[in-house]
Amino acid sequence: MPSPESVHSLYSHHHSWLNAWLRSKLGNAADAADLAQDTFVRLLQRREQYELNTPRAFLRTIARGLVIDHWRREELHRAYLEALAHLPEAEVPSVETRELLMELLERIARMLDGLKPKVRRAFLLAQCEGLTHKDIAEQMGISLRSVERYVADALYHCYLLRYESQE
Amino acid sequence: MATLNPGPRVVKQAIHWLLKLRESGNSPLLQHQCEQWRAAHQDHELAWQRVQSLHQELNLRAVPGANVALQTLESGTQRLQRRQALKLLGGVVMLGSAAWLGKDVDALSNWTSDYASATGERRRFDLPDGSVLQLNTDSAADLAFDARQRLIRLKRGEMMLTCANDAASAVGRPLLVQTRHALLEGFDGRFVVRQDETCTQISVSQGNVAFHAPGALQWVTAGQSLRVDAQGASLLQQPEMDASAWTEGLVVTRDMRLRAFLAEVGRYRHGFVSCSDEIADLRLSGVFRLEDTDQLLQLLPQTLPVNVSYRTRWWVRLERQA
Repeated sequence: MPSPESVHSLYSHHHSWLNAWLRSKLGNAADAADLAQDTFVRLLQRREQYELNTPRAFLRTIARGLVIDHWRREELHRAYLEALAHLPEAEVPSVETRELLMELLERIARMLDGLKPKVRRAFLLAQCEGLTHKDIAEQMGISLRSVERYVADALYHCYLLRYESQE
Repeated sequence: MATLNPGPRVVKQAIHWLLKLRESGNSPLLQHQCEQWRAAHQDHELAWQRVQSLHQELNLRAVPGANVALQTLESGTQRLQRRQALKLLGGVVMLGSAAWLGKDVDALSNWTSDYASATGERRRFDLPDGSVLQLNTDSAADLAFDARQRLIRLKRGEMMLTCANDAASAVGRPLLVQTRHALLEGFDGRFVVRQDETCTQISVSQGNVAFHAPGALQWVTAGQSLRVDAQGASLLQQPEMDASAWTEGLVVTRDMRLRAFLAEVGRYRHGFVSCSDEIADLRLSGVFRLEDTDQLLQLLPQTLPVNVSYRTRWWVRLERQA
């Protein structure tokens, strides 16, 4: 665990630099300030010692992960609104349901990050649409065996993240 | 005390059981065998419980309002990848997610193109020389105009070019269109260029287009369509579709096979449109409006002996009428 002192010193030396870096990525001062704070909070929560020879590179690495999370949320949100726009009015869910669903989708999207597109697609067709493996094979134009492997791989990938990741 | 994690082999077995059970619709025999497997070792049971609860957690069908989850996740992820690629990869290796690398190349090329259209979208652009570029669904083009030439690279999809004669420039720069298969030169006219994996098709509505083949020049004149692929170029005698109808929001077919027609309609929508083999060769002639392809599909049973069913919102299947 890093000492609060070392985080404090990082903060006083690099906070305004990090803020500027984030602003250049996000184009928005309020979001940049939030994520800069989050970056230091993350630092305090980390278990392992970190390399202080290159503090800015290190901060940037953490901040970059947060930027991606932030964008993921935004893009999902946008994609969700677009999808809703195509629904008949009676089918549009309530605000509460929408928020719950967004949270869930974000968690799932983060988990599926890094999967190959085909693996991901096969898995989502099973989980979102409830298609059988045979239907998925037909729809994706691949063999049943591949579908079985893809869906199992995706679940295993999620399992590792959920139960065996370090954080 | 730290819990011991079941080994990878056991976890994979648990996943295997879960999927097998789900696919079988929970057959009692399999259920019984699965219970035996679980009871055989405490690791098995632990892995099973975890896999089961993970699967529940990821089960989007149980959540109200989740019928748009697939589309949201797919398009949200695509866009995130583009955004990462654009903004974060300033010479820096990204940690964690290298997901975009080489996987979403088409989407990426679309994103970085000068002009692009989304699936189902048609767009019109006024080019700096006064020419007009129209893009059909899911298309992308780059512009490289310089002192010597006006070059348009069609990266994917389909475009219509209405040529202007470059009045602003003293030299009258040639107006060129490049695809994977062909280099074309347009003059005072209008033509459609359509590119897919294997070929490029040029259809001239007005004026003339020159096809620059290696060591030769071939003219395509108004009313003609030329198909160019790796084997060479040939004039199309009886095109089964009106090449420029899309600019009016229409598909106009003459005696077109149903499967080819559905592939055409599929270009304009997200998801998947298919038909059974026995109706694939039915022929279709007519004028169809593109603005609502769901409605278009619903109209087909009026003229053909087919049924249209939605397996999911994004998967439409046509079968012979019973």
